[in-house]
Amino acid sequence: MEVPVKHCYRLNEEREKISKVNAVITAVGPRNILSIAENLKDTRVPIICCENDWHIPELMVSITNNPNVVFAIPDVIASNTAPPELKEKDPLSIITEDGTCYIDHRVANLGGNCVYVDKDELRKQWIAKLYIHNTSHCIAAYLGSLLRVKYLHESMQNKKSEKIVTSVIHEMKSVLLKKFRLEKDFIDWYANKELQRFRNTLLYDPIKRVAREPFRKLSLNGRLIGAAQLCISCGIIPENTMLGIMAAFCYHNPNDPDANIKYLMESLRPQDFLNIAMRLRPGEALYELLLDRWNLNLNKLRGLKQ
Amino acid sequence: MNKEQVLEVAISASVAAGKFLLRHSNDFVKESHKESLRDIVTEVDKYAEKKIIEVLKDNSNNSILAEESGKIPRKDEKGYWIVDALDGTVNYVNHIPFYAVSIAFVEDVFPSVGVVYNPMSNDLYYGAEEIGVCKNHTKIKVRDRKPEESLFAVAFSGKQYEPTTRSEEFLMFEKVNDSTRGCLRTGSAAMNLSYVAEGRLSGCWGKANKMWDVMAGILLAKLSGAIVEYKYISKEKNLISYTAAVPSAQNFIKEKIRLW
Repeated sequence: MEVPVKHCYRLNEEREKISKVNAVITAVGPRNILSIAENLKDTRVPIICCENDWHIPELMVSITNNPNVVFAIPDVIASNTAPPELKEKDPLSIITEDGTCYIDHRVANLGGNCVYVDKDELRKQWIAKLYIHNTSHCIAAYLGSLLRVKYLHESMQNKKSEKIVTSVIHEMKSVLLKKFRLEKDFIDWYANKELQRFRNTLLYDPIKRVAREPFRKLSLNGRLIGAAQLCISCGIIPENTMLGIMAAFCYHNPNDPDANIKYLMESLRPQDFLNIAMRLRPGEALYELLLDRWNLNLNKLRGLKQ
Repeated sequence: MNKEQVLEVAISASVAAGKFLLRHSNDFVKESHKESLRDIVTEVDKYAEKKIIEVLKDNSNNSILAEESGKIPRKDEKGYWIVDALDGTVNYVNHIPFYAVSIAFVEDVFPSVGVVYNPMSNDLYYGAEEIGVCKNHTKIKVRDRKPEESLFAVAFSGKQYEPTTRSEEFLMFEKVNDSTRGCLRTGSAAMNLSYVAEGRLSGCWGKANKMWDVMAGILLAKLSGAIVEYKYISKEKNLISYTAAVPSAQNFIKEKIRLW
């Protein structure tokens, strides 16, 4: 679908134009949502938040005084770049899948070619995205970064990397079964879909895009540490997720907002890194497991290329 | 060493000393006074400083200026370390969780790398020119607020420094305290400056403070957006006076605080 530039609004024009639209869809990322929330204050049109964070609509209701804010899950990967042959034709080319956007049915009266789902279905899709997609997707990227490849599918072309990602998905599937009691058929379907998507050689999904801001992904409730903690709470030792976490610790991109991860990894002892940078406490299971396997996992990651 | 390596050494040394302070916070009771009743030293200061010096010597050839050991000359003259193993000793011996390890790397006259670590709260502040300032894993910056919405902090001079003008310091404290949300005397100048850098405080100042207490913090506050002014009061005694304030509080601080 083509969106002509003339249809784009400038931030300071939003307020007056907002009353003329049917709905506002936000997809700016959880870190940027506050910067646009003020512009949506006292609006009455529905706001659909595609922000990869289940709690954002609640925040937006408070800030905007608009009770009509709902959550939506775009189940799609959109690269921010394209292969050279497309870039030659149009330097602004990007590649995206033909995905599905699951939208809270409370705004179903908007109609159109959208998939409106009830709260239970939305929750199911969210949990699957959060753990099966988010966790394994960024782990594939961190492994790809260690392999020094540019795109996600290239990371999946390495057999060791692919095996780790597949095993991470397996760990997450177990969590979804045990903790959230989702149906096995749905989980299997979702997991297969994700693996195919990561292997998709047409997507050109850049490692740098997926791996960016490792500290955000390593937050205590986030897609890496949070996912590993969930595994442990279900009695699963997340060996492969921990390998992925270690790969995130090793991520280095000087232009990334979280580039300081390198200084902390280089200067702190493993126990201090886990305690100061990760805020994990000595004695808690994940801290002890990560520490116990520190050198082993580092060596495994060093051996990825062999 | 490049700046990143200097930063990594400073972080490493700060955390090693901080963890030592934390492990032994109940073990050391023997104290002795230096210049005043507030200026005390414990055995733990010295041991923690020794830990820092070990790390610095293992990883660099630069000279070291440390609170307890004084100047330790070394081969590399391109910059030197300034070390305070325990800023806030009175808090430490009274089990008040507000003290810090402070390490700066100074090139010419101004620090280029600074680390302040409070082991009790596990807050690690670090920064360097061209790198920015972080607390633990997060990038930080000052929070610009008007003085009337702000909290400030002060670090007074030692009792022996110009006893006749000390009452003026208390008057300045009173003026700021009564026209803002308050002015704290926290007992750690390094932490005051780090709190300015993080946006918890809108400003702080110190008169005739020891250089090792504040050099790292001054850099952190400056790099995170505070306006910092300072003057070396006595190079022989390693004394420095300074103000650090967010832009909206700068004029207020200039008006109320006269340090030189």
